[in-house]
Amino acid sequence: MTQTLDVHQGVSQLNRAPPMAAPTAATAEISRAGIFAITFGISFMLLYTVFERLNWPFFTYHPAVGKLDFWMQRPRSGEGPPMYWYGWLVLSGMGALGVSTIATLLPRPWLYRTTVFCCLLAALWPALLAAGVFIADQVSFEAEFLRSVWLSGFLAVAGAAAISYLASAQWVQRVWLSWLWIVPMGGLIVLGYSLKSYFLR
Amino acid sequence: MEAISDFVFDYISVRTFWRALLFVHFILAVSLLGLVTLQTVAVLMPARQAAGNFITRVRATPAASYVTPIVFLYVPTFLLGAWVYLKYRTYVRIPMEQFGHWWTVGTFEFKEHIVTMGVALLPAYWYFWRQPLTEEYAAIRKWLVVFLAISVWYAFLVGHVANDFRGVGA
Repeated sequence: MTQTLDVHQGVSQLNRAPPMAAPTAATAEISRAGIFAITFGISFMLLYTVFERLNWPFFTYHPAVGKLDFWMQRPRSGEGPPMYWYGWLVLSGMGALGVSTIATLLPRPWLYRTTVFCCLLAALWPALLAAGVFIADQVSFEAEFLRSVWLSGFLAVAGAAAISYLASAQWVQRVWLSWLWIVPMGGLIVLGYSLKSYFLR
Repeated sequence: MEAISDFVFDYISVRTFWRALLFVHFILAVSLLGLVTLQTVAVLMPARQAAGNFITRVRATPAASYVTPIVFLYVPTFLLGAWVYLKYRTYVRIPMEQFGHWWTVGTFEFKEHIVTMGVALLPAYWYFWRQPLTEEYAAIRKWLVVFLAISVWYAFLVGHVANDFRGVGA
């Protein structure tokens, strides 16, 4: 009888679902390699989108003549079409490597807030500039100053700094991993929209 | 790269060389496509037991077992694609524009961007799929798998359309 009970006890223990592991320091903590990998992903995608939109390649390759030029070079007669994609990749890669290395050295609260600041800045600056240009086109009075890159840049820096400073520590930490899907989605929307001329011809 | 191609051109024609390169890119892409699809099925529709039909057994495969082969296939497929892209820019895209195939050009441009995002996410993908897998990162793991699968499927389909315009067998 005792043995039967023991067997039943053993079976019931086997059938019982394992208790949900509470997030311990070991599971919740992301290692330095993780910080590097995550920051690399976020910063590479962000920088790639920005460099593509600004057309800032590290170099320009002319495949027809096998020529390499530093930075951005317009097409030249007799040299075929220039290629910028490799240059964007290299510049984004170098930037992301630098940013990710710095990220591993930062205290975590600083890292979370800096990430929020950079991502917001990347979103706000072009959005404010586009809004300024739109308003300048619509209003009847002189509003050329709204087209200024520096005005929208100043406002974007101020806005991003205010939000990242005022946001709670829990929120910036919670949202940190979400940048891994927000940035590629946002980047692809921006880059996809920039290709609209191909689809509207 | 130019030194490699110059050496090879002593033995095979330029046309054959680029076609062979494109074909290897295609083979790698097909393998990658299979793996990302299987992993996506295992992640989105997991099954507890391997018993049953083929689909159930695929669903029951541990999704983590696909990670290393995917990383080791994604990178060379990307690099080979970047190499073949040289020929695309001069030999394929120019006639595409001349014939007014703007949708094909546009979708191929988008392919550049989506595969670049995929490569950028590979380190994070590898990190979150390391053992032991923690439950709190399950959502981000799932997202990374789905994004990589979308990027590979998109690149494959668009690449195939571009190949049909001017490539192997076109």
